[in-house]
Amino acid sequence: MHPLERLINLVALLLDARRPLTFEDIRKVLPAYRQADAASAKRMFERDKDTLREVGIPIELAPTDPWEVEQGYRIPRDQYYLPEVTFTPDEVWALFVAAHAPGEGGEAELAFQKLSTATETNVLAAMAERTAAPGVDASGPSLGAIADALARRKAVRFKYRSAQGKPSQRDVDPYSLAFRRGNWYLVGLDRGRGEVRSYRLSRVLSAVKEIGPASAPPEGFDAAGQLEAGPWGLGLPAATARVAFSPKIAWWAIASIPGARILRTRRDGWVEVEVPSSESESFVSWVLSFGPDARLTAPRAVRDQVVAKLDALTGDG
Amino acid sequence: MARVAGRPANRAAERLRRVLVVVPYVVRHPGTPLEEISRLFGVAEGELLEDLNLLFMSGLPPYGPGDLIDVQVEGGRVWVGMADYFSRPIRLTRSEALALYLKGKALLGAPGLEEAPALSAALDKIERGLGADTLASLAGRVAVGGGGHVVAALATVRRAVERHERLEIEYFTAAREELSTRRIDPEHLFSAIGNWYVVAWDHQSDAERLFRADRIRSARETGETFDQRGLLGPGRPLYTRSEEDVPVRLLLRPSARWVVEYYQTEQPTLREDGWLEVTLPAKDLPWVAKLVLRLAGAATVLEPPELVRMVHESALATRSLYRRPAQDH
Repeated sequence: MHPLERLINLVALLLDARRPLTFEDIRKVLPAYRQADAASAKRMFERDKDTLREVGIPIELAPTDPWEVEQGYRIPRDQYYLPEVTFTPDEVWALFVAAHAPGEGGEAELAFQKLSTATETNVLAAMAERTAAPGVDASGPSLGAIADALARRKAVRFKYRSAQGKPSQRDVDPYSLAFRRGNWYLVGLDRGRGEVRSYRLSRVLSAVKEIGPASAPPEGFDAAGQLEAGPWGLGLPAATARVAFSPKIAWWAIASIPGARILRTRRDGWVEVEVPSSESESFVSWVLSFGPDARLTAPRAVRDQVVAKLDALTGDG
Repeated sequence: MARVAGRPANRAAERLRRVLVVVPYVVRHPGTPLEEISRLFGVAEGELLEDLNLLFMSGLPPYGPGDLIDVQVEGGRVWVGMADYFSRPIRLTRSEALALYLKGKALLGAPGLEEAPALSAALDKIERGLGADTLASLAGRVAVGGGGHVVAALATVRRAVERHERLEIEYFTAAREELSTRRIDPEHLFSAIGNWYVVAWDHQSDAERLFRADRIRSARETGETFDQRGLLGPGRPLYTRSEEDVPVRLLLRPSARWVVEYYQTEQPTLREDGWLEVTLPAKDLPWVAKLVLRLAGAATVLEPPELVRMVHESALATRSLYRRPAQDH
């Protein structure tokens, strides 16, 4: 009998059985294990069990009857079957795009195939004709291990190279994972330094080792909040500001601002826009990054900050 | 991913894994064309037939005609019956679920993707729906930064990449601050460091070019198709060092450290006062001048003098905008 046939029969038998089956029970009904040498049949069965586990099939030992005299094998259906999750055609397509984005793909594609079983045939067929998937090449070798540790609340140890280039060992209680500007970051408590730090995963130099249970993040810890405090965000939008852009860059600058509202185009071609803003340094920096192609008109307080920075730069401050 | 080590090395395991995914699909979609299964699951039709040939000899004891899985292949279509226990797919392993979930999350961080709302909804369903020990413990623990440029031409460029169609684009070269019209053969579209990039053959310069998609002001389909040249796609370096690059030496305050994360810099020297000296090789200086302006005091240019002058002039020009009250209105 072909090994695949034997394995399919074993899975079917254990899934369908009403009670756990001992190896003797299995041997009685499954011809593949009925060879004369019982020891070699048992060895084959052990190997098959390993293969099943490798594929992710939950196979467990349980008493065969209430008297608990004998232990038998079973595949618990509630742990074997995928819970019913239904997706709209658009959602299936979106998952397809994600699964086929560049980077390590095998596991994500398999996940997609399992999830899309209940989908309308025509959706999947249409999808198979589209080939190119744009995407993000963001997976580093440590991402899977760190996400797994985060999910299971385990602390991790790894060698890390800081922005200044100095490598050192870090013990971290993971709080969250953040994806920003094409990079994954781990945010967590650095045990050696006693404070919350973020680590860019591409700077992790070693394999990730789990070192026991992790502490929980402090009350009110907000994973999304960690993203805002950086040079690229515009800070948490608290107010609106008015900025005028030169005709040369207006279309491009405006496209970069979610929530921008065009107020008017002046006779000289400059475009006045209302944008979400804050009084943060990063908002001021953002305005300055356009140089003489952007002019902030309101609010006054931010305008004064911009002018003060410029005075400092030109030596007039 | 680290857990890829868990992928089956043995061929029987690999085939079993495949059967347990393909069979539920066919049970639920009777009469699916063989060719379609082959494309969907990335398996050659021949291999698929081999699997199906073994499948119809399998089933439940006592393995009589009424106990075996019923497999029919007729006119290139497949039916599978008598396999109720395989009518639902097997659960995702945590590492499979994580792989898809994280790829999806990362894609949400790429601005302007038309699938974003559907993807976001689908990821929520996965997070909640796969069972407590799969992803539920990650709820609220994975964050994705938004922002970035909206790319007006994204859908057009994507379609052109898929169909190998030549485009005519209006492109804004930031370094020279000018718009030019060029014909390009786009081979790849990918997102990196928060921007979309297009890898294309540029007919204007008759060379391979990497375009920032957000700087494409408009894209028009030309109706012509092209043969792919095999240009490098995602994962390629965004910046290629060249001999002509100007080595810009910058002094960065701690608050400007992100420059080192974001750009390719060399020869870092950490000074005792916490300032960091680095070299930033640059093809053009105007954008570095804007960067220094943006860093507003958190960065000082050490070299070259030409850039020091440029920053000063740009700051003066910007400052002068605020001296003309007439423009306030």
